[in-house]
Amino acid sequence: MRKVLYKGPAPYLLLSPYLFWAAVFFIVPFVNAIVLAFYETNGPRSRAFVGLDNFRFLLHDANFHAALLNTTIFALVSVCVQLPLAMGLALLLNGGGSRLRGIFRLIFFSPNLVGQVLVGILFSVLFTPRYGLITRGFQAFFHWGIEARWLMDPPLIMPAIVLTSLWLWVGFNMVYFLAALQTVDKSLEEAARIDGANAWQVFWHVTLPSMRHVVVFVVIMTVIGSYQLFELPLTLLSETYGFGAKNAGLTLITYLNFMGFRSGDLGLGSAVGWVIAVIIFTISLIQIRIARLTED
Amino acid sequence: MSLIDKYPYGKAPFALLVIAIVSVGLRVATARRDGERPDLVIATYSDAHYDAYRKAIPRFERERGVKVQVQQVHWASLQSRLQNSMLADVETPDLAEMFENSLGYFTRGPAEDFGIIDLTDWLHRDGLYDRMVESRFSLWMSRGRVYALPHDVHPVMFSYRRDLVEKLGIDVSQLDTWDKFVEAGQRISRDFDGDGLIDHYMMDLRFDGAWGLDTLMFQRGGQFFDPQGEVAFATEDTAELIRWYILQTRGPKKIAYDCGWGQPVAKAMIDGLVVFQWTPDWRSWVFQDEVPSLKGKMALMPMPAWKPGGRRTSVWGGTGLIIMKRTKNPELAWDLAKFLYFDTPELGRRFQATNIVPVLKDAWDLPEFDRPNPYWSNLPIGRMYAALAPETPPVYSSPVDAHARTQLDLAYARSAEHFMKYGEAGLMEVTRAHLAEAAANVRRYASRENKLRTAKR
Repeated sequence: MRKVLYKGPAPYLLLSPYLFWAAVFFIVPFVNAIVLAFYETNGPRSRAFVGLDNFRFLLHDANFHAALLNTTIFALVSVCVQLPLAMGLALLLNGGGSRLRGIFRLIFFSPNLVGQVLVGILFSVLFTPRYGLITRGFQAFFHWGIEARWLMDPPLIMPAIVLTSLWLWVGFNMVYFLAALQTVDKSLEEAARIDGANAWQVFWHVTLPSMRHVVVFVVIMTVIGSYQLFELPLTLLSETYGFGAKNAGLTLITYLNFMGFRSGDLGLGSAVGWVIAVIIFTISLIQIRIARLTED
Repeated sequence: MSLIDKYPYGKAPFALLVIAIVSVGLRVATARRDGERPDLVIATYSDAHYDAYRKAIPRFERERGVKVQVQQVHWASLQSRLQNSMLADVETPDLAEMFENSLGYFTRGPAEDFGIIDLTDWLHRDGLYDRMVESRFSLWMSRGRVYALPHDVHPVMFSYRRDLVEKLGIDVSQLDTWDKFVEAGQRISRDFDGDGLIDHYMMDLRFDGAWGLDTLMFQRGGQFFDPQGEVAFATEDTAELIRWYILQTRGPKKIAYDCGWGQPVAKAMIDGLVVFQWTPDWRSWVFQDEVPSLKGKMALMPMPAWKPGGRRTSVWGGTGLIIMKRTKNPELAWDLAKFLYFDTPELGRRFQATNIVPVLKDAWDLPEFDRPNPYWSNLPIGRMYAALAPETPPVYSSPVDAHARTQLDLAYARSAEHFMKYGEAGLMEVTRAHLAEAAANVRRYASRENKLRTAKR
């Protein structure tokens, strides 16, 4: 047993730089974040042990409840709207010629290259009442919205964030789906068609199950990404610290950022971080469990 | 045979080796530069200040035989960098200019743990306190002590296009109270051409509260916090202001339109969509810079008062200079602060370049303040702002300042929602209840901070 573990100093020496940096940048902050969640802090000198008070505070804080609700709504909309759109685009492109596919893939993917902050700033101009491209577009197509205050009217704030995120992420997820579609066995689809299945039935009973692993991966990543939504609301709603009117744009990470870094309450920020981690972990576990059940 | 081919472990390890050597080389080069730290480092977020300080500092360096470095950093980055440096207890600039409402973060916990120097005694010792606009210290005070040197006053006026005002038949000399202003606004904020859209709105005003609500509350004498740091915004007066604000931004008699920020504001001004713009001194320069096509067409007037003979201005914005406790030369840093903020001829030049009224009252006698400004229809805007400067209301700071602002906006948004559903019926009662809840929330946040003040260390 000892021989198995110890094979001379070389492996340990070679691993030591990685282990050192992992300890410095992962293990120490990880442990520190756990400890911080039980303290109220102000920099390196003043801190007060508060036990579970930080978590109790969150239970009774209306802002935290609003952030949790908004983020969950965003995650649901992301999965229910963004992913079907991405799948639809992928199916459209999958049928086209390879050259066209490359061009459209680049076009749809490109919003993701510019970064969320820039997209947030860009859309804050596009949503401008009277002058913005989006408000004018809505007026032209739906005869509504020339004076809509997308970023200031509480009922419109979350739709504005969702619209922006769709522009940003649909193309990104489409690339995953497109890659998965190209691995689907064409002979299975062909066989289903010969057996009389229509296009929807082929997709639902053959194509989708064949790319199940990618779909599960994309759903999990989308949910995780949604619960980490931060840059978009912060830049779109910068005048209100990312909260938006009536807290309509407040997300969990924006709340964490506000509490931890704007207000300097790092202990509370750390507690929020752990709550988010538990939420994401639980949802991911449920999703994996459901995926396994459907596979069985 | 190239070097990469001669390397025995392959191309990828060779590339990694090159990266490692370059990284170490860069680190060594940077470390050498770190060793040459000047005697003082001052950081600012303002373009205008950066340029002005770079011009002025060589004289200070010659007179004192020291080296001073000026750094320009975006205001948000500057604040977060300072916060992180203080949290980690590592090197910071010796002096830094801070944005309004940022002091609260640095004054949490026990006073002896603040990372910035208490300037109160120095201000009195050097006879500076009485030479400055007293209300401006409030923004930079915590527990009765001053922690930053205020840079500016930022009185607010209303700017307008003279040609448009004449066309619409508005006599600005008559707009000395808000009642008269609203009355005139209701007359002109209409759809004259029948396209379903209002052609001109009387004024720009935030739809979601934010700076608009704050500025009006200060003008009425309201505050987020009193001088002792107690929550002070949940008053009958604030409830009345919220009702008034809702009526101006929503409903059939609205006179205000939210132009947003940057280019949309410029477009709204050029199109004449909005007649009156909120214009603190710093924004008068922004308009000059960003909407040059309106040169000679623009003018300024004091804000309307809430009561006849009342305060005709408010305050919006503020910059303060903090000195870090970590500085090795606190007295030298204080001397530099005084040199930059109280060198009177320099203040005249800075006003000329920025339109910002300095907090030092002596400077207002400089000839630059009487000079006509061609953009503003040759009005002596320095004199106009300076005349209002002593009236600017105080704005008291607190570690939970940001919470108070978000909670006031929340109370306003909920009241506005009530108005949109039920009109004015029950609006005041609902607003009072929302304000009380908002104040209770802020007190709850403040009570957490209070624990730190008595924490074991």
